[in-house]
Amino acid sequence: MSTSSKLRRFFYNRLATVGLIIVLLVIAVSAMAPILPLADPNATDLDLRMLPPGSEGRPLGADELGRDMLSRLIWGLRVSLAVGISATVIAAVLGSLIGIFSAFYGGVLDNTLMRGVDMLMAFPYMLLALSIVAVLGPGLFNALIAISIVNIPFFARNVRGATVGLVRLEYVDAARLSGKSDMQILFGELLPNVLPVIFITISTTVGWMILETAGLSFLGLGAQPPTADLGSMLGEGRKSILTAPHVATLPGVVILVLVIGINLLGDGLRDVLDPYLRSGALVSPRPATDVDDQLRRRLDRPQNVAAPDASTASTRPSLEVDQLQTWFWQKRGRRSSAVRAADGVSFQVERGTALGIMGESGSGKSVTALSILGLVPTPPGRIMNGSIRYYGEELIGARIERLRHYRGNRIAYIFQNPMTSLNPLISVGEQIAESVRYHQSVGRGAARARALELMHKVQIPDAEARLDSFPHELSGGMRQRIGIAVALANDPDVIIADEPTTALDVTIQAQILKLLDSLRQSEGVALVFISHDFGVISEICDRVVVMYAGQVVESGTVDEIYRRPLHPYTRRLMECVPRLGERARTLEAIPGLPPALDDLPHGCRFADRCDVVMDECRVAPVSLRAVENREARCIRVEGQDV
Amino acid sequence: MKRWTAIAVLLTAITAMAWAAGAGEQEDGPETLVVGQIAEPNALDPHTVTAVNDFRILVNLYDGLVRFQDGSLAVEPALATDWEISDDGTVYTFELRQGVTFHDGTPFNAEAVKFNFDRMLDESHPYYDTGPFPLSFYFSAIQETRVVDEYTVQLILGEPFAPLMSNLAYPTGLLVSPTAVETHGAEFGRNPVGTGAFQFVEWQSNTNVTVEANENYWDGPVGVEQVIFRPITDANTRVTEMLSGGLDLMVEVPPDSVQVFEQRDEFTVYEQAGPHLWFLILNLREGPFTSKAMRQAVNYAIDKEGLVENVLQGTATVADSPIPPAFDWAYNEDLDPYPYDPARAQELIEEAGYDGEELVFYVTEGGSGMLDPVPMGTAIQADLEAVGIDVSIETYEWNTFLGRVNPGLEGKADMAQMAWMTNDPDTLPFLALRTAAWPEEGGFNSGYYSNPEVDELLAQARRSTDQSERARLYREVQEIVYDDAPWVFVANWQQNAVAVSDLQNFSLQPSFLLKLAPVSLD
Amino acid sequence: MYRYILKRLILVIPVLLGISVIVFLIMAMLPGDAAQAILGSFATPENLARVRSDLGLDEPLVTRYVIWLGNMLQGDFGRSYTLQRPVLDEVLDRLGPTLLLAGTSLVLASIMGMLAGIIAAMKQFGWQDALFTFIVLIGISTPSFWLGLMFVLLFSLNLGWFPVSGMTAVIGGGGVFDVLRHLALPAVTLAVVATGVIARLTRSTMLEVLRKDFVRSARAKGLPERTVIMKHAYKNALVNIIPVLGIQAGFVIGGAVYIETVFQWPGIGRMLVNAILTRDVLLVQGGVVVVAAIYVLINLTADVFQHFLDPRISV
Repeated sequence: MSTSSKLRRFFYNRLATVGLIIVLLVIAVSAMAPILPLADPNATDLDLRMLPPGSEGRPLGADELGRDMLSRLIWGLRVSLAVGISATVIAAVLGSLIGIFSAFYGGVLDNTLMRGVDMLMAFPYMLLALSIVAVLGPGLFNALIAISIVNIPFFARNVRGATVGLVRLEYVDAARLSGKSDMQILFGELLPNVLPVIFITISTTVGWMILETAGLSFLGLGAQPPTADLGSMLGEGRKSILTAPHVATLPGVVILVLVIGINLLGDGLRDVLDPYLRSGALVSPRPATDVDDQLRRRLDRPQNVAAPDASTASTRPSLEVDQLQTWFWQKRGRRSSAVRAADGVSFQVERGTALGIMGESGSGKSVTALSILGLVPTPPGRIMNGSIRYYGEELIGARIERLRHYRGNRIAYIFQNPMTSLNPLISVGEQIAESVRYHQSVGRGAARARALELMHKVQIPDAEARLDSFPHELSGGMRQRIGIAVALANDPDVIIADEPTTALDVTIQAQILKLLDSLRQSEGVALVFISHDFGVISEICDRVVVMYAGQVVESGTVDEIYRRPLHPYTRRLMECVPRLGERARTLEAIPGLPPALDDLPHGCRFADRCDVVMDECRVAPVSLRAVENREARCIRVEGQDV
Repeated sequence: MKRWTAIAVLLTAITAMAWAAGAGEQEDGPETLVVGQIAEPNALDPHTVTAVNDFRILVNLYDGLVRFQDGSLAVEPALATDWEISDDGTVYTFELRQGVTFHDGTPFNAEAVKFNFDRMLDESHPYYDTGPFPLSFYFSAIQETRVVDEYTVQLILGEPFAPLMSNLAYPTGLLVSPTAVETHGAEFGRNPVGTGAFQFVEWQSNTNVTVEANENYWDGPVGVEQVIFRPITDANTRVTEMLSGGLDLMVEVPPDSVQVFEQRDEFTVYEQAGPHLWFLILNLREGPFTSKAMRQAVNYAIDKEGLVENVLQGTATVADSPIPPAFDWAYNEDLDPYPYDPARAQELIEEAGYDGEELVFYVTEGGSGMLDPVPMGTAIQADLEAVGIDVSIETYEWNTFLGRVNPGLEGKADMAQMAWMTNDPDTLPFLALRTAAWPEEGGFNSGYYSNPEVDELLAQARRSTDQSERARLYREVQEIVYDDAPWVFVANWQQNAVAVSDLQNFSLQPSFLLKLAPVSLD
Repeated sequence: MYRYILKRLILVIPVLLGISVIVFLIMAMLPGDAAQAILGSFATPENLARVRSDLGLDEPLVTRYVIWLGNMLQGDFGRSYTLQRPVLDEVLDRLGPTLLLAGTSLVLASIMGMLAGIIAAMKQFGWQDALFTFIVLIGISTPSFWLGLMFVLLFSLNLGWFPVSGMTAVIGGGGVFDVLRHLALPAVTLAVVATGVIARLTRSTMLEVLRKDFVRSARAKGLPERTVIMKHAYKNALVNIIPVLGIQAGFVIGGAVYIETVFQWPGIGRMLVNAILTRDVLLVQGGVVVVAAIYVLINLTADVFQHFLDPRISV
């Protein structure tokens, strides 16, 4: 992210901006204290003692010695700020050095340093601070040292953690080989990369170190008269809390506001600097994909609400997808732009058949599949247009309870990566059984039995013992079988398999495919099989739909597509599929890349990579043309517009 | 969702009911007195403790041979009915009260007295190791304790020591049950047994010490059935507890809170001058205070009335000499405190030839009897700045402070805060004003004051057994010291206490001890 | 499993030993000593010498440490100089109330924090999330000692809902409800900061977990949202939150010092502060070793619990 976009992002966070304003204000006021028209903070005037705020000559009141509260607050703020920041910087420098050296040199040095850090952390921090101050004597400077020492472990640990990750990277080895000395590597290569972690740790601790220093002063061990920081003011004011509460309350309020400002600022900084946060990792999906308002209104109109019609059930396709548009919305500054992940997709599946959806990554095949049951993450996804009907019932915009009724029950998914798709903390048997329990309202025993039965069906050896195993205890192939078992749990009508074999090695792949095929035949489910690999699709599917840049570019039977591809893209793909009997050919990758989905060309989306492109191709959007039982989206294809 | 709401409502209802039940609480009955202490007691063995806080409980559990008269620092009989002092002042013979038993039933007699003193003073005593006994030096003049007969005992001194009687009246002279010490050994401090008006019931660490009336008290019936001492270190919390009815009596009311109680009828505020002095030690060995003019100057420059009225909120009176007025029989009435006179101060400063150098002022932040040392130090600094004396403050935590001041101010500071509370007019001057009390000699004369005349007067007073003779000598000492001004005499603490107005027969003692035997709640 | 616990327990020992050495050295460096503290104004060199010899303070440093260590390993922590009772008795007396206070606070903070974090994660961008941010911010920015004072002022003095100080009512106290009434304000005050920290961590961990594939799988099975959040997401989040709870325990125990001061809670924090100020070396050492041991045990428990939760963590 460039600096300017970082800045923009920062200001977008309104709270962080508020934090920045508070901090800047505080720093400005503190810095200007000597030139502001303030009373002498140390001038006592016993006649004026304990005056409440709003008194003549003492706008915020006077303390127990008659000194002006306003002036003392500002000067005290100066001190608190200076000490808090200094302590943080010292702890940061020392702690980071320890962390970096520890991670870099490893071995005995690492062990000793980290044991030391552990011991420091095991020591109740308050006591450590107290003891240090007791040894050195009270005083602000000593309190500063105490707080710094006590906070070194946080920096040491965090920085060490970050450095350890970097030290093993190749570029460090490269630097060594190129003759750089240890110091050069440490400070030239590692330190700059660890700086974000250091800043993040600083931002989390500085507010709290100000509080800790105030605490020590509160106990009388920090600032000594006549120096006053906010903590010691609170401590002194405590004695008169019954008769003049403002003396203790005001410093507390100032500390609160100061630390709030610092924390807000810190949060904002973290948002910008922490690569993890930046990647949008902290946005969680809602239970169902959002549906665009206009679409929703249209769907609600009576003539569009089709109740499931039992009489025609058997003749209607199980699943119909019609002109589906699912876009991902992004905010760039003030504007929102959409990535058109699925942009007008249509297909249907009949009972007992298998439809393949093929395309490269980014073509929109997974998004299409997930849209069916509203599993596309929102934010940022939203279904903008189209209709998805299950035996005639409209699924887009359906109530969540209805969707849940279908999910895992009538329409089931098999996901691509079985390691991440299974919950690592729950036994595989339970992950099957819970689906059974919820949809079939049976007891635990019955569900468990059913889970066992399903595991047998998917050919898991030694299923009895495996019921209570955890996903990480099984091999990749077995995990995927579990995934299939989960999908089968409630005898679904439609199974959507999203690249179910991509993460597996070839022999396992074959087994899984065989399994799926036999299940389709024996159970009569409609199978939607998504893959980028035509070889796999051809094994198991009857018809295929080819997708490119969010659109369907060709459809037909497996055979037709293979032997006579109509669309230039499909043709290039087929050329990559090995044919029996031919010697290995040189594989030519299709030059170029698919277009960016938020910046699509007006005309044919494949035009830039097409080997038979004509000028007319780019003029207008190309629609699907029907040719016999097939469709293709190319102006070169003679056929009826669909 | 509805199920959870129902449960939440039910839980809240139950909690509310239990609350109300707990809140409609225990009022202390008319027979229990709840006293707020400033700290948790260290131990209940009178010979092992030094803090007034502990003494306040101890004088109700134990008696000594003698005790302070009500409202005075003169001495009257207690467990000893009569005594005689030999002419040369080295033999004290005590007639003991008969028929008195300790709370554990064992008899009080001369053997018991001997046990008490031997334990503290004789290293070979089998129970010497139940110490240490920090204040045993009060009785270091005693060479031998002799049992004459069952109810007569003699204290034999190495040389005359007039303050002995006051020391015997002081809590370090309280008498413990030998049997109990033999039974509990070092744990005696948690299982006290004496002859006092109250006997020990229990001690819940940091929560309370409970004592109940001694039915067989030799000095007459006790007014309340039970006393509970609650340690509350934080002054504000003490005040809030008092206000909310958690305490019946509390001592050391913070100056700023006194008015809160004065305004309410259900409370009565008590005040009593104590044998206490708050002063500034001046460095007479080096620096500007080697000049008497300079020393007097600071006495004039500081607005002591202002300090006492505004910082201490009237909880002290202005001091004029090293002997506080609480020692009524020895106090020199003719002396008046140095008035607040900045003009005079400036004259004297010029006379002294002060060249504007910065003075170092040691301030402490706490400590027994130090009142409000930090604000007072700040106010003093301000007063001195106003007459052109440049002062820089160094603050130390109490123990560290003592560690720096007691060995002497030379090379460290020009002035230092200090406070003393004693039970005899001899003590403070003896320990802090004599030439032989310089830190190098083991005394507390940290400012290095030396005046042979004063030394002689003090030695005489110490040896004399005639009170009026002693009084005359002490008055002379005060005059001389007043003029020499080795210290800035600032304040005498008026100790204060607040009690519920129902409390009868209560008065604060100049000794700062709490005598609870005669009090009652109506 | 048991071998793991045993191994960890054994590793605790060098850490505690290290701590005991540090404490001993710090106390030895303190200016002034217990004899000074006991005698106060009466500390003439003569008296000091006598008391020091009585207390054994005139022995060389190493001797004193070794004697102390030897005794401690046999369960004898020595006698407190100022309190004249066995250190272990005093420490155990004071430990109970602190554990009660800290434990309650931690439980409160964990429950409230995790609940708040889960709700905020679920209602991300809603008004609940904004309220959450606000409360968390206040929580982690407030000085706890000041907050305690404000609470006492408001709830005890002005409203009279809670007692002002102490752990039990003086007369007739000691019952469960009595202690709870006294515990309420201190525990809440102490919990405030920890709640903020835990809430923030829970929210971010939950947000991370909710993005994971297995949560999508759980939804794809049509499970009710409550099951998805609690059974699938929360359990995984907990694995990451537990180590932080362990560390928070340390801060709660440490922060108890202020709360114990403001509310006069008879806990070990205050005991240690006083002991340092009065140079009661043995009491400080005994107290610190015990507190450190407890802290270490808490972390060990957190680790073990984490293992129970997550079968992938091997022992």
